[in-house]
Amino acid sequence: MSKIWIVAENTAWLAVLAAYAKSLQPDGEITAFVHGDEAAARQGIALGATAAFALPLPADALWESYTPLLAEKARAEQPALILLSAAKRCRDMAAQLGALLDAPCFSDVKNLSLTPDGVSGETLVYGGAGVAQATTRAATVLATVAAKACDPALADASRSGTVATLAPAPGAAQVTARLPREARSVNLDGAAKVVGVGRGLSEQKDLAGIEALAKAIGAEMACSRPIAEFFKWMPEERYIGISGQQIKPQLYLAVGISGQAQHYYGVRDAKIIVSVNKDAEALMNLNADYYIVGDWKEVAPSLIQAFGAV
Amino acid sequence: MKKIAVCYKWVLSDADIRINERTRELDMEKCKPQINEYDRMGLETGVRLKEASGCELVALTCGAATEASAKDALSRGPDAVYCLDDPVMAVADATATSKVLAAMIRSISDVDVVICSEGSSDQYAQQVGPRLAALLGFTSVSYVSKAEVQGDALLLERKLEQGTECVKVIGPVVVSIVPDICEAPIPSVKQILAAKKKPSIKLGLADIGLSADSVAPLLHVAGVKAPLSERKAVRLNPDGVSISEAATALARQLAADGIL
Repeated sequence: MSKIWIVAENTAWLAVLAAYAKSLQPDGEITAFVHGDEAAARQGIALGATAAFALPLPADALWESYTPLLAEKARAEQPALILLSAAKRCRDMAAQLGALLDAPCFSDVKNLSLTPDGVSGETLVYGGAGVAQATTRAATVLATVAAKACDPALADASRSGTVATLAPAPGAAQVTARLPREARSVNLDGAAKVVGVGRGLSEQKDLAGIEALAKAIGAEMACSRPIAEFFKWMPEERYIGISGQQIKPQLYLAVGISGQAQHYYGVRDAKIIVSVNKDAEALMNLNADYYIVGDWKEVAPSLIQAFGAV
Repeated sequence: MKKIAVCYKWVLSDADIRINERTRELDMEKCKPQINEYDRMGLETGVRLKEASGCELVALTCGAATEASAKDALSRGPDAVYCLDDPVMAVADATATSKVLAAMIRSISDVDVVICSEGSSDQYAQQVGPRLAALLGFTSVSYVSKAEVQGDALLLERKLEQGTECVKVIGPVVVSIVPDICEAPIPSVKQILAAKKKPSIKLGLADIGLSADSVAPLLHVAGVKAPLSERKAVRLNPDGVSISEAATALARQLAADGIL
């Protein structure tokens, strides 16, 4: 029976990683590492780990500075699999641990499985245009796992195990400040209808026309990455894609979005996708349920009128 | 700071991928190689740090048929480019790529700042920057959205889920940038002409002391297929149907689907 380690960004993710580990190997021995205090580590025991370690955020050092310590433990314990949260600090740690252990990593893995011949799993390539099926025979294998990869494990406070708090190794990087992000003004995740805009808009004031459309159907506004990150016409929390928000609305209405795989990844679970694009061959049209070919300036007012009439 | 090295990947553009509808395989025949989009911001970040610090700036890449990338890379500002060009790198994973880049950096003297981008447009594993740091024994600072020089130190801002983390680093560092750190200007004619006079160094694995076996990938890709799309892709305004008629048809359809 092989050992599985789970390394989590927070206790919610810890519960998902614990369930994921159990689904791979129901009776496997789990060791938990969690960003947080000793209470967070105790949660790891309640979720089924036999040993759990708290990795509190150091006051003036990078959280990733726990990596050499984890590498040393991994050399001693030889876990077959190390599952980490697909969150930024954990991704950095996964990569550094992988280098120190000469171990490969499946990033944002899907369909991971342990077989007598090694570990296999799927990763996205070309921004989601392709799925690569890969295998490895490495003694230790890492994988980063999405927050919604499976249902979380249920905690049972009566479980017992060892709990300890680790201290990171000193590093050359000094954290001088941490500024919390501004409170999210929008919950795209829970929106039933979402209108997304892309580079088919030529200037920021064009947004007003789309906002009117969104308002007419009670939809939240969202956008593709360039609109938020390069043009800064909309806040970053509204961009959808492989590196942004992934949503699951009843209706996603894409206006002037070319539909590159990296954007489509964020909306592929929408119930209905509608695309408005002047390019008939736009990928977004071909990946939609319904599409209208035309200039959004002409289509949006027609849609407002038609939606108002039903 | 003595020398900045920017790593870039020579990738196939994903804009022209065609899907074989029968086999679900990706047809890359029309895809042209290019410098990975995010790495162009990495090169520009290197240029800005060079201007602020006065140190040298080099670019490096590894892969199969990478020599063709040299002119484009040089036109973006580095003083020299190192291209490791070996067919075995066609199947490289992040473990192989980071080992080769680490050996290249060790073979170039005095590199103390390495710049990578968050990920490549093909694999987007987000692994190479931090792996490189661990292999070289450099500090890894990832997801960097701002970089400034202050004397001997680099002041970096990381964009994390929780907010911004401000980091001061003195000494060898691998900075992995996010693409919003800056825009990547299109090289001017003058820059393109100047690139022809700059040194381009082609390397093989033996030149940096590695064998093909030592950079065999640990992840073996058995195949790549397009995920199935089950969308109907119905055009509502085919020839002869006006936009307002299409809008009405859509509203009725969405009402029938229980969406509106």
